[in-house]
Amino acid sequence: MLRNALRCLMAYSTIAVAALGTLPGAAHADAAHPVVALLPGVTDPFYFTMHRGAERAAKEDNIQLLFQVPKAWNTTEQVPILKAFIARHPDVLLVSPVDKQQLIGPLKEAADAGIKVITVDTYIGDGHYQTGKGDADFPLSYIASDNLEGGRVAARSLAKAIGDRGTVYCENNKPGISSTDARAQGFMEEMKKHPNIKVLETQYNEDDANRAASHVAAVLARNPDLAGVFGANTFSGAGAAQGVKNAGKQGVVKVVVFDAVPGIDEQIRSGLVDIAIAQLPDQMGYYAVKFAADAIHDRKIPTYKGTGFVVLDRSNIDKPEMKQYIYSN
Amino acid sequence: MNDKRLDRLALVSKVWPWLFLGSLLVFFEAWARISAHRSFVFNAYNLQSIGLAASAPLLLAVGQTFVIITAGIDLSVGFVMGLAAVCVAQFTIPGGDTPWILLLSIPLTILVCLIPGLVNGVLIARLGVPAFIGTLGMYGVARGVGFLAAGSGMTVSVNNRGLAWLGSGWTPVVLTVVLLVVMHFVLSQTRFGQSTYAIGGNPQSAIRAGINVRRHLFAIYLIAAVFAAVGGIVYTARFAAGAANAGEPMLLDSIAAVVIGGASLFGGTGNVVGTLIGALIIAVIEFGLVFIDVNAFWQFIVVGIVIILSVLIDQYKGRLGGAQ
Repeated sequence: MLRNALRCLMAYSTIAVAALGTLPGAAHADAAHPVVALLPGVTDPFYFTMHRGAERAAKEDNIQLLFQVPKAWNTTEQVPILKAFIARHPDVLLVSPVDKQQLIGPLKEAADAGIKVITVDTYIGDGHYQTGKGDADFPLSYIASDNLEGGRVAARSLAKAIGDRGTVYCENNKPGISSTDARAQGFMEEMKKHPNIKVLETQYNEDDANRAASHVAAVLARNPDLAGVFGANTFSGAGAAQGVKNAGKQGVVKVVVFDAVPGIDEQIRSGLVDIAIAQLPDQMGYYAVKFAADAIHDRKIPTYKGTGFVVLDRSNIDKPEMKQYIYSN
Repeated sequence: MNDKRLDRLALVSKVWPWLFLGSLLVFFEAWARISAHRSFVFNAYNLQSIGLAASAPLLLAVGQTFVIITAGIDLSVGFVMGLAAVCVAQFTIPGGDTPWILLLSIPLTILVCLIPGLVNGVLIARLGVPAFIGTLGMYGVARGVGFLAAGSGMTVSVNNRGLAWLGSGWTPVVLTVVLLVVMHFVLSQTRFGQSTYAIGGNPQSAIRAGINVRRHLFAIYLIAAVFAAVGGIVYTARFAAGAANAGEPMLLDSIAAVVIGGASLFGGTGNVVGTLIGALIIAVIEFGLVFIDVNAFWQFIVVGIVIILSVLIDQYKGRLGGAQ
């Protein structure tokens, strides 16, 4: 019996070793062949677009790029992948931490192992790095959209679309999330500069498009003169657009959505959505790898870089150069 | 069908999870040596990471093993774990940095998590609600309560020396191993364990044999809740913050570990060592495939195939056993 088991084990390991030959050779980190690892928050077109930007920069600088995505936006999903990356010991780790508190310890582990950490899209601690203060200042840089500015851009676009007068409100995910909170805040601040626009209470749908749609219906029932809605993230935007359509107010109530998810071009053409504020995940990925290359060569890099926004609407959506701003898988 | 061939099949079904785990390690070791010139297995950091990755679903899976052996299932453990993660953070915060607060906050957390276990027990053992439905209800309730307990934010940060120690280095792994040894003993060497198998094998004859099935099932759902609570406490200790969704991805991993370990969802079979191997297989695959830079989606496929394979081997063995 034992002999059988042994024979079986030997056969297994032969197959295992044979399979090795089929794998691409992996470089290990050294000065001539630097390795950079990219660990986003979750499988999502936004992050796949970021990956493509990162790949472009990696090719330019002859860097080997590792890429793994957690299957859910969850610390228990991201940390084991992070640990496997630490075991590979890349020169630089580009990461979108899924929680600003919980990821401090695990990322410190990477930094202590001599891996340079740059956060992309999301941050740990308060997002201010290399200050010498607090336990979360060790990452070298934070590259992301300035969400506050994104909210302002949304407000300006919406104000323009409704002729600078009327009633609007912000449909949001839930309170307590740094990115969407900042967008709503920027939206409110900017709208204060438009005295003829009245901003109603923000509604929270907890990332449920259905609930966002019924919010629109409820707000319309109370304020039939509603002129515009700002959906501060993907599901808020999708739900708000659906709600406006169900109410038969398409084109009358202007819908601004954050993020240019795949298919947004069709939604703009059909009039379901009036304006989309595209972040530039491709640029985030590109600059993250460029910064990584600089860090590897001991060049100084800025501790923060904001990537901009592009406003997509019916006037420009058919232009070929706009296609690159729509996220894709 | 001669006896010799049957023997061999029985052996295969017994050793194949070990073989599979072994060959995975051999494979990753060879890969690491050849293309990265370092060791995969003989590396304390790698072992610790795999141990930590396996311990989270394992804590849920130990309780789940008992539940599945009685032909039940507990879908609520993931969010009970999240509830515990939030509770232990909230209960520890008033104590500041003093470790003594844990003497209060940990028992209190376990006590809170006994409530979903109790309700599951009442529903399933007393009222005869199918385990799948009863615990699905509790899945929702524990989830909602967990988020409410966390307040407006998603996570509750807590900085406490004692808790930090509990979550640092090898401590969570050692704790998990100790609990595994205890529960292995309970399941394999005690009357309680025997009764568990009896109930899963045939509840009618278990009743006739004088086992108090209701009370026993009650106890088993309490055990599952306690282990989920421990999982949540360890989570908060490791990440210095509790989150209500902490255990969400762990639920299916825990069931997968039990099934890969040789338990049948129809009850009567399964053991703690098998569950351990199942959890290790999943953790090694997930860690190893990232290590060798294979596309993340292959992890799902590989783990999925392993689950199907383990069930097939079990069924084949069962059919042969029946034919004999």
